[in-house]
Formats: sequence, structure tokens, C-alpha cells
Amino acid sequence: MIGTLLPARPAQGGTGSRFREWQLALPLALAFVALFLAPLLLLVAVSFYDDDKISQLGLGSWARFFGDSFNYKVIADTLLLGVKTICTTVFIGYPLALVYLDLSPRLQKVLLFIIVMPLLLSVVVRTFAWIVMLGHEGVVNSILLRLGVISEPLKLLQTELGLVISLTQIEMPLMLLPLISVMSRLDPNLRDASAALGASRWRTLFTVIVPLSMPGLIAGCLLVFASSTTAFISQTVIGGVRLIYLPLVIWQQALVVYHWPLAAVASLALVVSVLTVVAALSWVGRRTGGHVHG
Amino acid sequence: MITRRHLLAGATALGSVSLLPGLAHAKGGLIATTYPGSWEDAYRAIVAPLLKKTADIDLELAPLFAMDQIGKVKAARGAPPFDAFLLDPGPRIVAIEGGLFEKFDPRKLTNLSKIPEGFADQHGVCVSAQVVGIAYNPKKLPAPKGWADLLKDPWVSRLGLTGFQTTFGTSSIIEIAKQFGGSLTNVEPALVELKKVLPKVAAVGLPAAMPGLFQQGQCDVIYTNTQTVATLKGKGVDIEFVKPESGAVAFYTTMHIAKGTDQADNAYQYFDLVVSKDVQQALTPAPYNFLPVNKDVPLPADLPMKSLDEMTRYINHDWAQINPLRAAWIDKFNKDMAK
Repeated sequence: MIGTLLPARPAQGGTGSRFREWQLALPLALAFVALFLAPLLLLVAVSFYDDDKISQLGLGSWARFFGDSFNYKVIADTLLLGVKTICTTVFIGYPLALVYLDLSPRLQKVLLFIIVMPLLLSVVVRTFAWIVMLGHEGVVNSILLRLGVISEPLKLLQTELGLVISLTQIEMPLMLLPLISVMSRLDPNLRDASAALGASRWRTLFTVIVPLSMPGLIAGCLLVFASSTTAFISQTVIGGVRLIYLPLVIWQQALVVYHWPLAAVASLALVVSVLTVVAALSWVGRRTGGHVHG
Repeated sequence: MITRRHLLAGATALGSVSLLPGLAHAKGGLIATTYPGSWEDAYRAIVAPLLKKTADIDLELAPLFAMDQIGKVKAARGAPPFDAFLLDPGPRIVAIEGGLFEKFDPRKLTNLSKIPEGFADQHGVCVSAQVVGIAYNPKKLPAPKGWADLLKDPWVSRLGLTGFQTTFGTSSIIEIAKQFGGSLTNVEPALVELKKVLPKVAAVGLPAAMPGLFQQGQCDVIYTNTQTVATLKGKGVDIEFVKPESGAVAFYTTMHIAKGTDQADNAYQYFDLVVSKDVQQALTPAPYNFLPVNKDVPLPADLPMKSLDEMTRYINHDWAQINPLRAAWIDKFNKDMAK
């Protein structure tokens, strides 16, 4: 992902500088091994136990999880939630990023602050704020009722629509920050050049701006997807428990019924399915990044 | 949150001997779990200062739900991340079966004679009682009479449902099942009936989200405990508790010493203080609304029972029978309720 954001750089220095770079990366590599790789291997190991007491080795937990068609629906719903959230954040975020480009530096700072502000609040607070907004007697329903648009409150909480609306706001900074970071580096003369060559504003957008901003767009999509598919609090508080996604299944198996092997299988299913989509997006990013189409 | 134990573990791992003298004061400390919310607020405000004052023990509270406590101790495998548990009956049985408690000697409690007989045993001591029934908004709905009313109009379209994740949720669904021919070990009739009315139900959520959903008017009738009702009422929410015709469910919250802790003596002093008249009296009124277990502390007037003895006649569920079935019930609930 990061690779899509960084420009290619010629190699510098000889063996000595490469050695120093290797040393600099060592603490991070050690932390990665200790805090990510080791627990992941442990997770894989636990998944190969059949019983909740973790005493019998076997493929029973895998067979049980993947032998239940309900779990395929849960995986599909989880990935679909990520895709829907990407669509809404791109739909709202991309025009906002374009507006950002045309603002004066002072207004850009104000907009950037507004974009970053939600990150300063805990996701729990933001999620509960959405209960107040979308509730039966919440702000949205009160306004619509007062305006006479509806005659009885809409059911917005505990629906996928409500969940996607709230995730759009919650995840928006993750889409906008990489997008703005890449788009700010675009040469403004490119747009003028495109116009001078007779391209309409729409053509300039789709053949110049969008392709060049693709690394930021892909990075934003990756972050939004990974974050929204694993957003346990938002999914359960806003969506309720009738909308079942993998994080809820993992929580129930790990902390309610204590069947850790099954929780491990569900966790690995989440990791693999999310990483597959992330890898696909990265591949798209590498294929399209930074190329202007005629 | 970085705890004393985390620091100790980190210091040991790094071989940082110079840090150890600074931790010596921890001898007079105790890490005890508490439930997030009212429990944490009350224990921080009342119990921790009193324990410091009377026994010079620094009480560090770790807010964790019962299930999370069991999960963390099991994960720690012999090195408990805290010294004392606070549990409901279901997780208590899981912990007993998992050998997660030190053997408890009730005779070490100076206040043993002040709590009803049977409230302390070889596993731990009851520190509070909970009564589960129905809560509703009296400004929007008439009072339901029993569990079966929840699935009828006008209540069903304003009902907030939770599953088997918590003690009160499990207890309530068992009681609903009993109204339709089910039993302690057969909740199928409740699930069948719930599925029939599901499109009408106002909310199906996680237990922790239900008070918030009630407060926001997303649902106007839920099954819950008296403490939640009293706490919401204290915040100005229109809510009343109903003891169902077939009876309310009572259960007890217990404290236990974690296996392998080196702070067992401090844990005894802590438990003894918790069940003392002073603490129980301080925890009973608003805003904490605990049900006391000390016989010298009268029960609040607005409760459905007048004494602890009366409460022993309430419905009690045998969690040793429930626990083995719970995983399958959760699975079934997920599938039946899923959109």
C-alpha cells in the first residue's frame, strides 16, 4: 500500500548504507515478529484444535465453521459491508477532495481540521453519537417529522442503511487523508494543459485527475475497507445483532462461549478474506497508479 | 491501560532491576475486576478510598465484563492479570470448572454472620443480588403483566431484545420459553415465538447497548435488572420495573480469589469490606442502586421484594445445566434473528 504512495527512488550508497538501513528497520521488524507474527502463528495453531479445552488436535473447528453455510453468508455480508462503505466514502470524499484542491491555503487548513477532527474523538463516542442521530426519536427523525416529510419515524438504527451511513462518517478521514495527500502533489498546470488541448472539465477529471490520484484513492479504499469490516463496536451498536458480521461471531466464540479454536478459525477467515480484497485493491493500485490515459 | 502487573512483567522481561524498588509499595495493593458502568463508578468512589483508609490497601479496579475476565485469565495460563474476580452465576461455573479460583475460606470474613447463610462458600462470597424482570416506559405503554405479553401488541412493536450473551438475557429467554412449554434446558419454544414476531420487534441488540437504545426511545420495553432500571430512572428516563406474574429471576454476583495470586490476604480484606454494613449501605441508594446482601442494611422501598429472605423464593436458574447448552443457543439465536 505504502509502495503505491511513494515515488520510485534511485538506489543510493553502497553496501554500507544498505547495512545501516537494515539496522534502522530492525526494531520495527522485531516488534512486528513479536507483536504480530507470533500471535498470528498462535492463532493458526489454536485453530487446529477440536475442542474448547484446547486438548485435542484436529481439523474439527475448521470443518465445523466451513461446514455451516450460515458462515459463508456472514463472510459475504462482512466483505459487502466494506465494499458499500468504500462506495459511499468515495462518492462523498472524492468531490470533497476536489473542492479542497481549489480552496485557498487558509480554507484548506480549516477543511483539513474538519476532516481530521473526528479522529480526535473515540470511535465509541462517534458510534453512540450516531444512536442519538438515527434513533427512533433521534435528530434525523425529529427533523423529518417536523418538516412533514414523514408521518412516523423511520427505522434507521439497526439497519444496514444506518450502519453504512454512520461508517461513512466514521471512516471518512481514512479515505480523505491519503486522497488529499496525493492530490495536493498533482501539478496544477496539468489541468490547464488538458483544457488548452480542448478537453472538457469532465474529460480532464476522468483522464487526468482520477488516474493520477489513483494511488491515494486505492490507499483510502484499503484503509476504509480494513477498518469498516472489522468495526465491531459500530457494527453491533448501530447495526444491532440481527446484522451478523465476522467480528460479532469472533467475539461470541472467544468471550461468550469460550470456544477459542472456533474463534481462531473465524478470525483467520476474517484476516484471509480481508487480505484477499486488500491484495486485489493493491494490485489494481499498482496497475493503474500514476498513469494518465488518453 | 498499563497496570502495576504489566509494569512488573515489563521490568522483569527487561531485567530492569533498578525499577523494582519503586514497585515495593505494591505489597499493599490489590487488582480486582469490576463491571464497567455503575459498578466501576461505585467501587471507585466508595470502596477504593475506604479500603485504603481501613486496611492501607491500594485497590486497582480493572473494569471487565464477566466473560472477559474468564477469557483473560484463561489466556494468561497460570499468571492471572488480576487478583480478584467479580462474576455472575454462568461465568462463575465456567471458572469453577476451569479451576480458576483459589479455595475460599468464608471463616476469614469478619462479616460472615451479617450475610445470609449460603452466601459464602469454598469458591467465594456473594456481594450483591440482582433481580431480573421487565422494564417499560409508562408514558408510552401499559404495564405488561408477564413474559408472554412481550410478544403481544402493543409491547412487541416496542420490544428491545438481547440474546444469550448475558445472565439477564439468558434468564429472560428461558422464562419466555417456559410460557410456551419450554424449560430451563429447552429454549426452542421461545425462539420459535420470537421468530414469528421478529419483523415487529423494535430492536435486537447487544446487552450493553440496550439502556442507550431505551433512553433514546428506540425501544420502550426490555428485559433487564432492577439496578439498570433504578440507574436510568435516576437519569430522568421514564422507566418502571415489573415483576412478571410467573415470578422474577434472582441471581447473585460473587467475588472470588484468582488462582495463583500472591495477594489472597488482601483479597479477603477487600471482600470483607465489600459485604460490610458501611459499604453495602453506601452502595444501596441512588446513584448506585445496588441490592445489598448485608442483613443489617434494609432493602430500598421501591423494590419488588421486602427482604433478602423473600428473594430466595424467586426463580433461580441452575447455570451448571445452562452453560453446556449456551453455545448452541447462541448459534441458533444468531441464525434465527439474522436478517
